[in-house]
Amino acid sequence: MQRRREIASSPQRTAGEAWQVLAELVAVTLERSPSIDRSTVDTTMAAAEGAGRMLIGGGHLESSPLVVVAGQLWLEITTISGDGALTLAENLNPVPGAATADSWMVHLPAPGPLSKIVKGVAKTADHLSSDEPVAPASSKEQSKASVLNTDALATWAEEKP
Amino acid sequence: MSTTTTTTMHTRTHTATYLSDVIMGTIGDVLALLGIDTSRFVNEWDQDQSAIAAWINEGSLKEVVLECHRPNGTVKPVFEFPIVYSTGDGAGTGFLNSRAAWARYQAKITSVPSETGYSLFCAFFGAHSPQPGWNSGKRASTDGLRSSSFGNLAEGPHARADMRYLS
Repeated sequence: MQRRREIASSPQRTAGEAWQVLAELVAVTLERSPSIDRSTVDTTMAAAEGAGRMLIGGGHLESSPLVVVAGQLWLEITTISGDGALTLAENLNPVPGAATADSWMVHLPAPGPLSKIVKGVAKTADHLSSDEPVAPASSKEQSKASVLNTDALATWAEEKP
Repeated sequence: MSTTTTTTMHTRTHTATYLSDVIMGTIGDVLALLGIDTSRFVNEWDQDQSAIAAWINEGSLKEVVLECHRPNGTVKPVFEFPIVYSTGDGAGTGFLNSRAAWARYQAKITSVPSETGYSLFCAFFGAHSPQPGWNSGKRASTDGLRSSSFGNLAEGPHARADMRYLS
């Protein structure tokens, strides 16, 4: 189940404030699972806070999402800065899809200059990773379905007089 | 036919938040790029960002300066972030940044030896409010350093931040 959320950063919020909003979104999403302990999520997000500020302040999280993988949920979170941040209609409600998850991982992007720092931070918590997340099987199936639909459409088009 | 108009109010606080965030983000990129320990920078991020924003908001901040202190005592490179304030009310101007150009510019920045440290300075046009964690200090001389202008790093309705690289 792929989901996306956008969070307003500056000038709506500072990078530090935007990270707090992001961390809370991750926490309220994951705590829906009875197998996931909220305090573990909070501790994990706190461990990533410093790198998170740098990712947001440097604008890196605008183009490279933070990805939360929890059971069937694949959640991509990006930030928006500038004029777009002031008009963004945010959805900060818990993201559906993680209620039955018993394992989870927060994948931090490791762009150019911050690569070494992010990789170092990812080693400090069990649920943090700087690796590219592996796409869920469901998304591959959706991709195949999309190809089939395209094929069907092409066939239908050829049959038209 | 109906017409809907959306009006977004840009305040000086928005400009201050935006510029301070871009400056802090750029300094973070520089430190990471040069392999300088960022633990103190990260720990003091909120305090420093808040101070820079407050000084931009009151119009007192002249520039933010990042000095890289090498183990042999020399200070280079140096990054200067001068603030240029607009005289108008800022109406009709949005928020822009040059992060893409900054990403390309990073190839020009020369490396520093391990154990290189850093200092942050702020210079002012005159009177300014006290901010937690900031005390008076003395900048290192930039004599002998070659200055290169990056140009406009970020701008908002009420001010912009430029960047100079001295090496």
